[in-house]
Amino acid sequence: MRTAKKSPPKLTRRNYSKIFRPIFGLLVLGYILWRLYLVLFVQQTYTAEIWVRLLISGLIIGGVYALIAIGYTLVYGILFMINFAHGEVVMIGAFAGYFLFEATRSINVASAGNPPLSFSDAYPFISVVLAFLIGMTIAAISGFFLEKIAYRPLRKAPRLIPLISAIGASFFLQNAAQLLFSPQVRDYANPQAISRGAGWTLMINDARVIVTYTGVLTFALSIILMIGLYIMVQKTKLGKAMRAVASDKNTAALMGIDVDAIISRTFIISGALAGAAGVMWGLHNGLVHFFVGFLPGIKAFTAAVLGGIGNIPGAMLGGMFLGLIEALGPTALGISFQLKDVIAFVIMIIILIFRPSGILGEVLSEEKV
Amino acid sequence: MKFRRLFILLIVFVMILAACTPAAEEPVVEEPVVEEPAGDDTSAICDADDFGCAVVAPGQTIKIGMSSPMTGGNAAFGIDAEQAGLIAVADAGEFMGFQFELVAEDDGGTPEGGAAVANLFAADQTVVGVAGHLFSGASFAAMPIYEEVGIPMLSPSATNPDLTRQGSRIMNRVPFTDEAQGEAAAAFMFNELGFRRVAFLHDGQDYGKGLAEIAAATFESLGGEVVELMGITPGEADYSPVLSTIAAQSPDALYFGGYTQEGVVLVNNMGTAGMEDVIFFGCDGTFGADFLARTGANGEGTFHATPRVPPETPEKDAFDAAYTERWGQAPGELSPFTWNSYDTTTMLISVVKEIAMLGADGSLYIPRGAMVDGVRGLTNYVGISGTYTCFPDGDCNVEGPTFWIVEDGDFVAVN
Repeated sequence: MRTAKKSPPKLTRRNYSKIFRPIFGLLVLGYILWRLYLVLFVQQTYTAEIWVRLLISGLIIGGVYALIAIGYTLVYGILFMINFAHGEVVMIGAFAGYFLFEATRSINVASAGNPPLSFSDAYPFISVVLAFLIGMTIAAISGFFLEKIAYRPLRKAPRLIPLISAIGASFFLQNAAQLLFSPQVRDYANPQAISRGAGWTLMINDARVIVTYTGVLTFALSIILMIGLYIMVQKTKLGKAMRAVASDKNTAALMGIDVDAIISRTFIISGALAGAAGVMWGLHNGLVHFFVGFLPGIKAFTAAVLGGIGNIPGAMLGGMFLGLIEALGPTALGISFQLKDVIAFVIMIIILIFRPSGILGEVLSEEKV
Repeated sequence: MKFRRLFILLIVFVMILAACTPAAEEPVVEEPVVEEPAGDDTSAICDADDFGCAVVAPGQTIKIGMSSPMTGGNAAFGIDAEQAGLIAVADAGEFMGFQFELVAEDDGGTPEGGAAVANLFAADQTVVGVAGHLFSGASFAAMPIYEEVGIPMLSPSATNPDLTRQGSRIMNRVPFTDEAQGEAAAAFMFNELGFRRVAFLHDGQDYGKGLAEIAAATFESLGGEVVELMGITPGEADYSPVLSTIAAQSPDALYFGGYTQEGVVLVNNMGTAGMEDVIFFGCDGTFGADFLARTGANGEGTFHATPRVPPETPEKDAFDAAYTERWGQAPGELSPFTWNSYDTTTMLISVVKEIAMLGADGSLYIPRGAMVDGVRGLTNYVGISGTYTCFPDGDCNVEGPTFWIVEDGDFVAVN
């Protein structure tokens, strides 16, 4: 090791990889474009309504990924650590919403109908708002305590230590949920007005395309939350403090910013967004179990990297991009859906070859990295 | 400094890798060393046996292993199998002063989990047989480990045809094979239901993929058109993109080889994906109360399969009553393999009772080789789910499935 460290870098090998990587990227890109051409112009198997359905699926899941990805990016921007337990915060939000809907469904309201209407069917709007509030609150609280218990004591430790602590916290939360709520898969009890699968019908080429209420709710709410977050970070005092802590903790502290409090608030905000994503996930997909946050969490993390980790608009863009690629990719390239994730990750790698710090990522200084 | 960081990262990475493949590469535990009771028959028999004897000391229990997914989306299968097995063990009572014990472990239904559980059982002197594994993928991974130490497997539900085609001495099972089910399903769709264009989906795992491929091949040979044969990623919460793509081919039906978790999501997504007129045809992996509860109105008119329905016998009624009383739910509700799980456990216990010997030191000696052969040699065993004779390849049942349609929120047998 010692001698290897001192020997000068081999220039030839460096140049080789520098040339090889873009060539590899271009080759794969060429292959993808060729497949795309085949499917779109030669075979023409799929008509407009199929593409619209796929687009809708992609936008909805992309919105959820984007919300979760923001949580990764916010925390990374400030602490330069990957909060691997973020997916579990999503799961906690989904469970909170689940129990709220179960509660509102079990309350009957006085009405002329027989059998009497449950609260969630009689007041769907109020119960959905309540579910989001509860989901976001509980998830925000768990985000707050996650930071306090798992990360704060390790603030001064080397960078890898909090990472391992995050993985441990992730396992802990998963298993705690499994013991508390049983490993059983549960179904969200949506209010009847926005039951899954119901929606507006569009007619395209004489084929019905259903735009589900839950899908529209998910997409619209994720956009609203993202805009809200962006305004908060850019315009408010808290946002300004967060940006200050992100760019330099020590100087921010010298300027009278309570760094610990800002970090806590960052976790609260990212937890709240994750909670909202969890409730959306439940409302739209209907499934909730202890493992539900894991996969979206990992996907959102890659989306955050794709967009440029630490960059908020980048996370939004990365999430949407990943969702769309997942939904459209296999069909557009005529490849089996089993390889959906492979396609998404290959495209990601190509983007990272040409833009190593992500789509909107900035080149970080050595000190930050 | 950078090298050191890289080095630490490498170590962490290796540790994660090691954690991800639990014990899969670990050397299999040595054959149990038999403590020889001097001047006894048992020692001669144990010495002559291919694998030696399992020794159960006084105060220990005779353990029957059970390995199945008990967490995650398919947990119902494992919980059901454990509940049925526990009743089988309770029914077995005391034997020569020893109690039977069911050791149910969670293998997640995955090959890695299957190998980990198999290593655990192989290391335990007192595990004499395994009433599992439930899933084909886990069974494949576990077989070579049991083969080394001579623990017989008797699976209530692993149906991949290749499981019994590898010349394994220890692998046995009671359900029909995927081959029998796939062929029967294809014939049923073509002849009885009159489908001509069918899309075949599977979850890419040992069980689902094998089943869907056999069904598709049979369907094609009958003269039907296979419009799509495709795998999906298991464990997702939204399959509408793949369904939308299949909808473009306008098939009559969608055949799915896989488990409830994915089956439920597929059926629930079919409406929004433009497949509301397409009929969903599932398999024995999608049958169960879970499917009904989680698909609701979307599940109406879907087809499923089960092992042949157990005939009504006093023994079955007694089991049903015991199961309902102990677990608060009817057998067959969680999974279609309740009765099979009870039977495989009792079959293993019956072989143990036949060959076990009480040694001079008060320990129970169970020759492992004889145990393996005893399970393979089961003839006309009358269980609650049918009469079983094990064939030399390890299949103990060659009958085809019963098909069911969902009508008014309940399963109705159609053949």
